[in-house]
Amino acid sequence: MIHLRSPRLSRRTLLTSAAGASIALPWLEAFAPRRASAQTAAPQRFVVMFSPDGLLPSWTPTGTETDFTLSTILSPLAPHQDDIVVVRGLYQEGGGGDGHQNGIGGMLTGTTLNTGPFGGTQAPPAGWASGPSVDQRIADAIGNATKLRSLELGVQVGAADNWGRMCYRASDQPLPPEDDPSAVYARVFADLHTDPAVLAAERARQKSILDAVGADYARVSATLGSADRQRLDAHLDAVRDLEVRLTKVGQLGGAACADPTIHAVPKDDNDAYPDVGGLQLDLLAMALACDVTRVASLQWSRSVSQTRFTWLGITDGHHDLSHLGDGDASAVDKLTRINQWYMSELAALIAKLKAIPEGDGSVLDNTVILYCNELAKGNTHSRVDAGYVLAGSGGGAFETGRFVRFDPSQQIPHNGLLISLLNAFGIADTQFGKPEWSDGPLSGLI
Amino acid sequence: MRPLRLGDKIARLAAAVAACAGLVACAASREKPQSEEPSTDAPAPLCAADDGSLGTAALRRLTRFEYGRTIADLTGAAASVTDELVPDERSFGFDDQADTYSVSTLHVSKYFDVANAAAAALVGDSTRLSAFAGCDPTADSACVEPFVRAFGRRAYRRTLTAEEVSALVALERATATPGDADGVSALVAAMLQSPELLYRPEPSAPDALFGPALATRLSYLVTATAPDDELLDAAEGGALDTTEGLLAQTDRLLATPRATEAFTHFMFEWWDLDGLDGLQKDQALYRAWDASLPGEFTRETQAFLAGAWNDTPSLAVLLGAPYSYLDSTLLGFYGVSGTPVPGTFVRVALDPTRASGLLTQGAFLAVHAKANQTSPTLRGKFIRERLFCDPPPPPPPNIVVSPPTVDPRLSTRQRFAQHTADENCKSCHQLMDPVGFLFEHYDAIGRWRDVDGGQAVDATGYLVGTDVDANFDGVPALAQALVQSDEVRSCVARQWFRYAFGHEATSAADTCTLSALAGELASSNGDLKRVVRATVEQQLFQNQRAEEAAP
Repeated sequence: MIHLRSPRLSRRTLLTSAAGASIALPWLEAFAPRRASAQTAAPQRFVVMFSPDGLLPSWTPTGTETDFTLSTILSPLAPHQDDIVVVRGLYQEGGGGDGHQNGIGGMLTGTTLNTGPFGGTQAPPAGWASGPSVDQRIADAIGNATKLRSLELGVQVGAADNWGRMCYRASDQPLPPEDDPSAVYARVFADLHTDPAVLAAERARQKSILDAVGADYARVSATLGSADRQRLDAHLDAVRDLEVRLTKVGQLGGAACADPTIHAVPKDDNDAYPDVGGLQLDLLAMALACDVTRVASLQWSRSVSQTRFTWLGITDGHHDLSHLGDGDASAVDKLTRINQWYMSELAALIAKLKAIPEGDGSVLDNTVILYCNELAKGNTHSRVDAGYVLAGSGGGAFETGRFVRFDPSQQIPHNGLLISLLNAFGIADTQFGKPEWSDGPLSGLI
Repeated sequence: MRPLRLGDKIARLAAAVAACAGLVACAASREKPQSEEPSTDAPAPLCAADDGSLGTAALRRLTRFEYGRTIADLTGAAASVTDELVPDERSFGFDDQADTYSVSTLHVSKYFDVANAAAAALVGDSTRLSAFAGCDPTADSACVEPFVRAFGRRAYRRTLTAEEVSALVALERATATPGDADGVSALVAAMLQSPELLYRPEPSAPDALFGPALATRLSYLVTATAPDDELLDAAEGGALDTTEGLLAQTDRLLATPRATEAFTHFMFEWWDLDGLDGLQKDQALYRAWDASLPGEFTRETQAFLAGAWNDTPSLAVLLGAPYSYLDSTLLGFYGVSGTPVPGTFVRVALDPTRASGLLTQGAFLAVHAKANQTSPTLRGKFIRERLFCDPPPPPPPNIVVSPPTVDPRLSTRQRFAQHTADENCKSCHQLMDPVGFLFEHYDAIGRWRDVDGGQAVDATGYLVGTDVDANFDGVPALAQALVQSDEVRSCVARQWFRYAFGHEATSAADTCTLSALAGELASSNGDLKRVVRATVEQQLFQNQRAEEAAP
């Protein structure tokens, strides 16, 4: 049923269909005055969507830059072909640990993993990434006006280790994706149906508690050695972040902002994967529509994902399949359908953002979605000839409707793509990630 | 991040792999550096202190498991209130490795929510709330200060300073609207997310009052929760200043149900059994599988471990017991005879030619298998990694490797035979698959089978590259060898050390302590309870201090 989700997510349809959830919205009107300004401001937004375990050689479109045919895997994007840029042929840099670890860790950071403790069974083991991810660098620029600086969502992301983290606030500061839709809903949208007077009182109380907690962390931190102090100070910073967030509660806006409908799901049940993912996409889209955040990500599973795509009739674990040879026709067929399914989810996200009106167009027009994978090829762990999809022009920063092919033999670091993204958000940096891999934006992308 | 603390052996293995092409990686790894194995026959050396050679202990954070138990003890909230926290990072299977922790706004936001929920539970329970100071702070404002002192001592695991008391009373006053209960709830919520509770800050100065910190170490080591009143009284009265006093409290705690639960938690992490939660199998292939089985397996193994702990938790029992604890559902599932007791797990004698402790329980067997087939590789890898501490390196990055696709016309053994036929795969897989073949009488959901792929099961195999290399037929024979192995004992001590101290053994004091624990395991016939007790006797446990405060 999830594949048939309505692409239209207008406030009107949501409100009329919200009867089952019986959520009244008496306080929504409190946000009404902000709508006009939100429309004229048309903020830029950045979204990352990740899927795991590698692309296939057949992923690549055929044709020229402006006249191209999508592959079977990419075919779900056909209705949006004018709104996307398909990029293939970069070298996805990364280092430290195994190919999956440094693939997912370097994908958005353009740098290596620190030494660290993950990999009791692997050699050599590695830690967290050694720098911030591109979404967080963009959030530095555009994330401070909203309730949430950024919103990290996931679907069955599994254990807390460096195989399952792609977003980093800074070196050694992974941002865990939240993979329970009901918890996301409570954290992001609860304010929508709380009496403003009650909300204000609750905020004052929360601020008092956080003040006391923050003072405790500062006091204890001062008694610690430098390594321990660093850790406790990171906790203190997060407490301060929460306090700042309290001052922004209720600053929801956007004409299409509405209380999303959710339902209970067994969030860790393999067969519920599409359902959980669909809810997370709805929540992500509505978080943008309500201007709760302008930077968001959705991490499907994790690197080395063993999701079993039973809803496609595939019972093998994805990672097991991804290691079978290119000559195994059955495996190639299954992997093609798995990757195609992920592209249908990307298409659904694009459709949702297109359905949210903004100015003369839609939220998608002011957004850039980056789709990525930790590997270019699953069965060899290769990161040569890596592929990406950009969707939305970010308010005209990218010219869309293109297929940009790079020569994989040149092994052009993907850092250039990350730098181009920074530039698209008005960040004039010419370096991002590891300096050796970092040589200005990609030519011909913006 | 703190400098990496890694076993020298693993570091050397890493270097060997990095230096060699994929083909020879495993051959290199098999040159085991014997000198780095803790000796089990030398007398335990005194890992002496007082000259700084103990190094410093890293700040530890309560794991989700410990935090849940701690705030449940304090407030009466369900320990599951912490289920919504961000999962703990894991390294070597353990959730308490200080080097792995990260913290984000999401973490802190969840701690905030959990602390508030637990505080509300306490404030809503007048009887429990009034028990701390003998009065109800929500009904009598004169009770707030005594409540802060009494609750605070349990929460911070020491007597609060005057400044702390006045700050908390002030918080209560500032938040006591609309009612006093709101203020009490706020101060409890603040304390439940304080670093004094959530982390384990310890004094750095050698002459500082150390009793309360030691009580906290002891309590989390043995019971995975905060000290009770009796332990705090002993600590503040100086009773923990002698090894005798410390051991008296240790023995008291070891006899509590809390210790059984903590031991079970350690065992589940070491044996990688947390994967049971939500484990799924291909029900088209395994029609006996249903969603209740992971819970059934969990309770079987919990009952088995509790039975072992309350008697003698020796390696011989854990690896070789010819019995398990089954309810009527599992009696039927395994197809063994016994007197069914619905909903109760009772000890049932099993066929000693088949059953062998944890190794033949559904929990271990189902987790270490694929959804649609057994995996001799996964099972063999477990033995190699978790019982010999000698993990095979990962597949080389430049070859195409995968378990074979299910072909019902062949046995698992035949399908996996390609691993050892292919030279690319042989060097590593011969360390794992021949061990895993010993388990082939047990299918991917843990049931005995005599036929696989239309052929009689062949459960012969061998260990290679260990101190107990031999050919075997079936799991009980393997278990007998494992119990005799010095390398297994050293590895078990190493696993316990990781869990107990929250990091890998790296410094001279660490490895000396590790040797002492391995020695205790050898001299006690493999008794893990004796190893827990011996941990408390170590200088490293009693006298290691935190790093000096940075300027």
